[in-house]
Amino acid sequence: MIILIEMAAIAVHQFADCITCHAWSPDQSMLALCPNNNEVHIYKLVEEKWERIHVLQKHDQIIVGIDWSKSSNRIVTVSHDRNSYVWNEEGSVWVPTLVILRLNRAALCVQWSPKGNKFAVGSGAKTVCICYYEQENNWWVSKLIRKRHDSSVTSVAWHPNNVLIATTSTDGKCRVFSTFIKGVDAGKPKKSGSGSLDAKFGEQIVQLDLSFCWAFGVKWSPSGNSLAYVGHNSMIYFVDQVGPSPLAQSVVLRDLPLRDVMFVSEKLVIGVGFDCNPMVFAADGTGLWSFVRFLDEKKAASSSGRSQFTEAFGKFYGSSKQGTSNDRGRAGVHDNCINCIVPLKKSETAKMTSFSTSGLDGKVVIWDLKNQEDLLEYL
Amino acid sequence: MEKGKDRAKMVDHIVEDEAIITKIEHKSHKIDSLIKQYRPVEALKTALDGSPPKTRDERCKSANWHVVHRALMAIKAVDLMFSNLDPEYYDILMKYLYRGLSTGDRQTCDQCLKIHEKLTQKAGLGCIIRALSDTVNTV
Repeated sequence: MIILIEMAAIAVHQFADCITCHAWSPDQSMLALCPNNNEVHIYKLVEEKWERIHVLQKHDQIIVGIDWSKSSNRIVTVSHDRNSYVWNEEGSVWVPTLVILRLNRAALCVQWSPKGNKFAVGSGAKTVCICYYEQENNWWVSKLIRKRHDSSVTSVAWHPNNVLIATTSTDGKCRVFSTFIKGVDAGKPKKSGSGSLDAKFGEQIVQLDLSFCWAFGVKWSPSGNSLAYVGHNSMIYFVDQVGPSPLAQSVVLRDLPLRDVMFVSEKLVIGVGFDCNPMVFAADGTGLWSFVRFLDEKKAASSSGRSQFTEAFGKFYGSSKQGTSNDRGRAGVHDNCINCIVPLKKSETAKMTSFSTSGLDGKVVIWDLKNQEDLLEYL
Repeated sequence: MEKGKDRAKMVDHIVEDEAIITKIEHKSHKIDSLIKQYRPVEALKTALDGSPPKTRDERCKSANWHVVHRALMAIKAVDLMFSNLDPEYYDILMKYLYRGLSTGDRQTCDQCLKIHEKLTQKAGLGCIIRALSDTVNTV
């Protein structure tokens, strides 16, 4: 059942008790998600109803990363079982290919590069694997970035140039590396705003020491000139001119920490996390970032069809805290921590206004900013 | 060679720590006179300014805690205090409140809890999270 709300959240669906991660097919007609176990479920919207059309079973342990390539209709999954599979659709079945990551700890996150010819895996073994396809051997090769990370890699993000990646780690650092692979990356990439790109594979471009505790959820802006990441200390960090002399801003949050971020445009960032309600951040004319508001207004809660019991329980729960501002985040569409945010883009050139979130409450929520008048100037 | 370097580093640290202690002593006099002039918020700001979270030396940390403690206990009107305290002090104040609560002293805990309630209303849960999660810059 889809509940329509005249708010930023345009569709809500309960898929499972808990969702670890989700990804959309290139045309956004299908949704792949992991219901907190070792399977990937693929759903398709058929006559306004979500139908489960495939179950991908190959991993032994919980799956924590899914990415569906925009260019090649391939799915990559990573799991705590230390393995990664690339899934190809052949006829009506999804055929897995094992990618040997050579890890001795869990894989934690995965992302396809913008061109779809490489993918990056962050792991608990303090390493990042850059994987690419070798035609002559019919085999996915994993090349490791072993240096630098002092702790688990919680998030990886590809720069639009297909060469640089940013990582966040539980040692609190955000780092940018080159992943230039001869024969895969044709020629030297063009120089853009983000420092020198003629670096060798695995070379560190910059290390950002802004956080003193776990860092999560790094993303690049659409141009690749800026990046944003979050800390477990209720802070969000915005970095411009990523390179030898970066310009960094730290924004202090009033509320609980974030788990993931996403750039909607160069001037608008959405953060999701333990407050169960997406937070909107915007940059003003001078490039100064600040918190704007929660995306899910309180009005949405009353129309989302909660039972009287949960209303009463919510009141009881809220009254045990001081003030009304603290329970504000929990009154929305999501009612547990949001740990995944994915852009929804109709075409490469179109402006992005829509995205989806999933979390520990097992819901996938689709949001659209088109009807949010106060945010239009930042899109 | 390595040992020599380590020793030089240690000497540097000791010199730095001594400088911090001297500064705290200066602050202490200023705070006393501010409290006498019934300006407890000014005293608290002075105590929190330049608190030494970066050093690992416990002596510096406890010296600064003593001056902060004196200023905290001099606060009578908590609401009035917040109307004069800029938000940039919130995070460091929260860290000292938790240090105060860890002493277990009845009067200190009473005062810290009273301020903690107001500070949480002002600065939100994020402020508590930052105080608890920062294991590097402790007070």
